[in-house]
Amino acid sequence: MSNTRPVWLLIVSRAAAALLGGYAFSYAATAFLARVLPMPAVDAVIVASLPSFAFYTCAFLWAFASRDALRAWWPAALAVPLAAVGFWPQLWSL
Amino acid sequence: MLMIGAVVFAYVGMLALCLGLERHYKQVWGRAPAPWLRVALRSAGWSALAISLWVSGVAWGWAMGPVAWFGGISLAGFGVAMLLPYWPRAMVWLAAALPLWGVLLAV
Amino acid sequence: MKNTFTQSMAWLHTWAGLIFGWLLFAIFATGTLAVFDSEIDNWMRPEVRSHDLTQLQAAQRGLAYLTQHAPGASNWNISLPDARSPGLQVASGERRRGGGTALDPHTGEPIEVRETAGGSFFFRFHFTLNLPRNWGIFVVGALAIVMLVGLVSGIVIHKKIFKEFFTFRPGKGQRSWLDFHNASAVLLLPFHLMITYTGLVIFLLIYMPAAVDALFEGDNQAYYKAQGEQRLLTPRAALKQPAALVDLAPVLASAQERLGAISSIGISNPGTAAARIEVRPTLGYRIALSKGQAMVFDGVSGELLRDVPDMRPAVLTQRVMAGLHFAQFGGYPMRWLYFVCALVSTAMIGTGLVLFCVKRRRKYASASVSAQRWYKVAESFNVAFVAGLMLACAGLLWANRLLPVELAQRANWEVKAFFAVWLLSLLHAGLRPAQRAWAEQLGLAAVLCIGLPVLGALTAQHDPAHRVLEATSVVLGGLLAYAAWRCVAPREEKPARKRATVAVEGQ
Repeated sequence: MSNTRPVWLLIVSRAAAALLGGYAFSYAATAFLARVLPMPAVDAVIVASLPSFAFYTCAFLWAFASRDALRAWWPAALAVPLAAVGFWPQLWSL
Repeated sequence: MLMIGAVVFAYVGMLALCLGLERHYKQVWGRAPAPWLRVALRSAGWSALAISLWVSGVAWGWAMGPVAWFGGISLAGFGVAMLLPYWPRAMVWLAAALPLWGVLLAV
Repeated sequence: MKNTFTQSMAWLHTWAGLIFGWLLFAIFATGTLAVFDSEIDNWMRPEVRSHDLTQLQAAQRGLAYLTQHAPGASNWNISLPDARSPGLQVASGERRRGGGTALDPHTGEPIEVRETAGGSFFFRFHFTLNLPRNWGIFVVGALAIVMLVGLVSGIVIHKKIFKEFFTFRPGKGQRSWLDFHNASAVLLLPFHLMITYTGLVIFLLIYMPAAVDALFEGDNQAYYKAQGEQRLLTPRAALKQPAALVDLAPVLASAQERLGAISSIGISNPGTAAARIEVRPTLGYRIALSKGQAMVFDGVSGELLRDVPDMRPAVLTQRVMAGLHFAQFGGYPMRWLYFVCALVSTAMIGTGLVLFCVKRRRKYASASVSAQRWYKVAESFNVAFVAGLMLACAGLLWANRLLPVELAQRANWEVKAFFAVWLLSLLHAGLRPAQRAWAEQLGLAAVLCIGLPVLGALTAQHDPAHRVLEATSVVLGGLLAYAAWRCVAPREEKPARKRATVAVEGQ
């Protein structure tokens, strides 16, 4: 962690990246999977949702393992394109 | 009865795997095991765990069996780890439960 | 990079483990007790006596009572006694499940049963922390994610998983705490991972609605409809036509043959030609969670209208995972396996919390005043959240027998007693030196646990069905007493460390 900012701020930032960014990432990844899985929608819902907590755990760990506090937010950034695929029909109709 | 057997085999398996580690063998017997003995203990351990899985499957059915097996070997391993520092010899003698179970099953 | 990765994981494991470990301990401890929720329920309702009547006999007593006392009701419900619970309950009207009137299965007469929070308090607390339900499940869900994070980061920082697989070196202070924490975590890792992940899967679509949002526009009803869930329509015309109810015996027998023990029978529109009999299995005739499933029979002809549905593979997977968490399958042997595994899990979290303080004891003994104050807070919380919670759990059982039976809002007072004991333990932990606080609270919890059979014998007519619970309580009390004794007994540690302990205590 860099020394320019107070330590507590960095910790809060990482914790937020882990909890909120991690949720955003796992939410988007689940929506993405549900959309692209080649199976009936009813099954896709469950097959995509079951691993979602593993996604969350990985993003959570990433937020604390990444080299600097900015990189901790990568999963949250990745959520945007994933969500765009997951929700493309809804986006299309806007 | 078969359910008990699954746990007994799990215990014997974990015990053999534990004794197959040099440090723990020394803890019990005060000397290092011969290399062949270590290999034998380890293979016996894995075989006992495999038999435990099979007995579990027969006792519980093949849906619940693996669940019970995982629980059984975990607790057996934990039991071995807890007994080892306090009563190392008793831990080994507990393996006598296996022949005892065999006799009871045959009767 | 490797090194800093391990370091950051160690930091995360330490601090997340401490801050969230307190509540996780409470969740795991109450979850462990919830394995035997029905049995605790029985103990807390000593007026419900055990008996050896069959489910059919009990059902007919219930039916006779409802026919006499609620002939015009649109719905009847009969909760049947089963292997775990001897209670027979009937209810009528819209409130179909749970509650209702308790009956003596021998005579079919109502019995006066004390109002109690019951063993189901532990079950509810386990997944809501007694918060409002929706808040509670989200808080507990977030804690479960932290638990997963703790497990994974724990694996990362534990460098000698296989080399120290069976290692436990007691009597060596910090080393021993770490050994126990590691052994209980590693040897039961499959259980820890399974129980945490499947706990999340129970509320899968509540926690993670993304897929339903994406594919069904967030409409859960549409999703369940697509799953093939269909409702049986009530024939309106037949509602006005009076008709006698079919004999329950063959209906119950065919349901039992298919599903095993029955948990309850619902009868809609009794006394009319539109009558339906819904027979619901006890959870756990298979691994997959069978909540909400039922066989539906025609109430006049006794013909089977709807069988329990076959589940699609994906749905089945989810139900099996949820079922693995609920642990309702496999009868008592499986229940005991779960109970002991869960005890070890709880101990794993508890020793992790203690380890945090033991590790820092010497460092903080010579730290600044404010740092020492924080250390003291962590220590007090440890005592209150570990020893204090166990004390509160035992306290709930004592409150159940000691509070007057006729007290209004009795169940609430029991819950208040639980939280009061917990709060007092926090206060006590804040006032006493840590070591003494541990010993005193563990000791008191041990006394309450070991005294439970005495309390049971003095406050209610003896029921042999309570013997197992009371014996288990005595065994657990013995373990607590041993722990308490170890807190005050002279330690086999080196003098230097002993002095550090005294220094912390003497502050």
